[in-house]
Amino acid sequence: MKKKIASLLLSVTTAAMILGGCGSAAETAVDTSSQTAETTTTTDAGASSDAAATSDKAAQAIADRKAEAEKSGEYEKVIISFFDWTGRPAGLDRINEALSEHTRETLGLDVELQIIDSAAYGDDMKLMLSSGEQVDIFSTCILGYNPSINNGYVLDLEEDGMFDDYCNGIKEKVRADYLDACRVGGVLYGTPPIKDYAIETCAVVVGQEYLDAIGYDTSKLSVGDLGYPKATWDDINDIFAQLHEKFPDKYVFAIQDNELTQGSSVDNIAGDYFGTLLDPQNSLKIEDVYSSDIFKEWVQRAYDWNQAGYLSQDALTDQTGASAKVKSGSYMAMMACCKPGYKTQISGECGRDMAVFDVGESFMSSSSVSSFPWCVNQNTEDPVATLQVLDALYTDSVIEGLMCWGQEGKEYKVNADGTITYADGVDANNSEYYPNVLWLMPNPYVTYVWEGDPLDLGVQMAAFNDNCTCKSKALGFTWDNTDYASEYTALKNAYDEYGPKVVYGFVEPEQGIAELEEALKAAGLDTYMQGKQEALDAWAKENGIQ
Amino acid sequence: MAANRTKTKKKSIKRYIPLYLMALPGLVYLFINNYLPLPGLVLAFKKFNAKKGIYGSPFVGFKNFKYLFATKDAFIITRNTILYNLVFIIVNTILAIFVAILLAEMTSKVKKAYQSFILLPYMISMVIVSYLVFGFLSTENGFFNNTILRALGKDPISWYMEKKYWPFILVFVSAWKGIGYNCVIYLASILGIDRSIYESASIDGASKWQQIFKITIPLLKPTIIMMTLLAVGRIFYSDFGLFYQVPQNQGALFSVTNTIDTYVYRGLLELGDMSMSSAAGLYQSIVGFILVLGSNLIVKKIDPEYALF
Repeated sequence: MKKKIASLLLSVTTAAMILGGCGSAAETAVDTSSQTAETTTTTDAGASSDAAATSDKAAQAIADRKAEAEKSGEYEKVIISFFDWTGRPAGLDRINEALSEHTRETLGLDVELQIIDSAAYGDDMKLMLSSGEQVDIFSTCILGYNPSINNGYVLDLEEDGMFDDYCNGIKEKVRADYLDACRVGGVLYGTPPIKDYAIETCAVVVGQEYLDAIGYDTSKLSVGDLGYPKATWDDINDIFAQLHEKFPDKYVFAIQDNELTQGSSVDNIAGDYFGTLLDPQNSLKIEDVYSSDIFKEWVQRAYDWNQAGYLSQDALTDQTGASAKVKSGSYMAMMACCKPGYKTQISGECGRDMAVFDVGESFMSSSSVSSFPWCVNQNTEDPVATLQVLDALYTDSVIEGLMCWGQEGKEYKVNADGTITYADGVDANNSEYYPNVLWLMPNPYVTYVWEGDPLDLGVQMAAFNDNCTCKSKALGFTWDNTDYASEYTALKNAYDEYGPKVVYGFVEPEQGIAELEEALKAAGLDTYMQGKQEALDAWAKENGIQ
Repeated sequence: MAANRTKTKKKSIKRYIPLYLMALPGLVYLFINNYLPLPGLVLAFKKFNAKKGIYGSPFVGFKNFKYLFATKDAFIITRNTILYNLVFIIVNTILAIFVAILLAEMTSKVKKAYQSFILLPYMISMVIVSYLVFGFLSTENGFFNNTILRALGKDPISWYMEKKYWPFILVFVSAWKGIGYNCVIYLASILGIDRSIYESASIDGASKWQQIFKITIPLLKPTIIMMTLLAVGRIFYSDFGLFYQVPQNQGALFSVTNTIDTYVYRGLLELGDMSMSSAAGLYQSIVGFILVLGSNLIVKKIDPEYALF
């Protein structure tokens, strides 16, 4: 009896399984075929009107969509996905309504923003992109640009010459070499957000109140290009010693594992430090950074600080961000990288007035531009419409204003000097739309700047990028490490085991580095570096870089 | 005869219809969650590409599995996973039975309170447990370094950098957290034992110890075997929270805290490769499946009555 039922259940499940499997397979097949059909029609349309000027094509597409909407009474919709720190904003529906009202006029379609909590963004997007849910434009931040390409999520933007036809605004706003930096294997899959691609390495920031307490006068230091006092490590050590003496109960320095990322001009080729360019401006030779003097110098510094009692003994286990530590009041200084407008940003993050010391140099790494471009879903229903929206994201100040800041009068108000600030009765906590991810936005410089920042922030940022003294020769090189996944995982484990205690100065540098080196070598560092070098050489040859 | 049997069968089906109906939601849930995704296992043998979909992606054979075994870490993570789980099974079972017997022998009114307190850690999330542990072990402010070691006049220990303590810490935490739940199951079985057996035993002059070893434990045997078999089936899975959160994801402790789950998590978190993740999952379930069948077979050999199936 029991057995009968069991076998019945089993056969039913098997049958359903087979049916289920077939069903979805068939569905996918239909999907793809309909999609191909669509693509063909667009190509045909494109070919027939080949002679027409590009702008006419764009205008024609908009007119067609409007006519279509007139007929059906419904506009087609383009969905844009990105993330923020707090999840879907309360006022998002209102913003979307306002956006669509504008884009129905300008583009003949509805636009919907889909904002997901940063913690869930990666997983949610992977599910949506692989299950065929509607997402048209998305940010590859957190998802990763290379993984998105490898998983086949993204559309070739230049398919059928679409990019030339419909994205002239982007071409105007984003320099060609920055666009080229986003090409992988020669194919343009995404467009970079306009932001600071260069960084000013090694900005040591110290709470102004603590500096005042030790009576430190920053005016005796010369001023750097960014307007912050230039300091040497001797100056910094001097300040730290005084701070430690004056405030023995506070930790001097909130140390993080950012000594290479933010504190050096070593180019982390393809997103990791297992094989780097030590002199990225002049050489394309992949070298091991952990055996280099650059790393040794940093490690020695951290070790000395630790010995001097500047660091918390729980530094290894405490995962709190450095700025949050400084905000808590038990830490006085931290190191990051700076850019125009950085003092405003870091003072906000640390909840107190911070003094910025510029100890490094400006640097643009190979992956700086292509770290998280905006991409188009390969599954998008109407690629032309989607690309036109993408174009508008870089050029249309109304769209960008709504996306970055919300609605005037509801979320923000315009000051007399042209900057904006919270609307009356609104602040960061009760604002219904305040995603706070300006650095992610396609082009935040076509709209307002926030109070406290200069009105020409966009121009300053562009100049900062253009004037960067150390630009990596490998700018735009990306590497797919799927074939080296096992080495990568082993290397990452080896680093996690031996790296942090060296970087945080908990072991004697000589011995710590030797241990780390040994573990990395055993994990296949040489093979991995060789893989990188081969790919880099091939890339350099292809792009004519010596 | 045959007709008669089908008749009784029909009857009993009718009789049990309400029970089947009650089971239906659970079965549907099981079906949707555990059976419908099964065809997706094929992903472990493919290179996933969203453009082509799960079924259209190209086959790559066992390439996705290679990654699990290619490095020297493979031995360490497999060793850690299996040995820790073995120790957990043994220690937690013994302790849980011990506590269950103590509770069963207890007659006072506070028994219920004890039971709840022992069960409490089971309800706490591992993330919170990790901070409780940190409260004890923090280098600067921890209870051990600040109170106990100081009182003893000893030097503070950097707990999160010393490997040698962690096997004990993890076993202790696992026992502290897991005992309550296991003990409730054993307690239920003990309470199900016919009291008259104990009465006649005590009339015959059996001491408390003899009653425990001659009556309670032999009668608990089926429960013990079943619980152990279930645990053996999961021997290739590790309690992710225990091995990831409790050591605060400290690299210095990897050689004693890295298990298959944490290794895969750390590796694939950044690679984001679906095919490799499913390969790791498939590998774990297949080994688990074989182990359950194997241990059941052994139990069957020794005493067929106690075998699960």
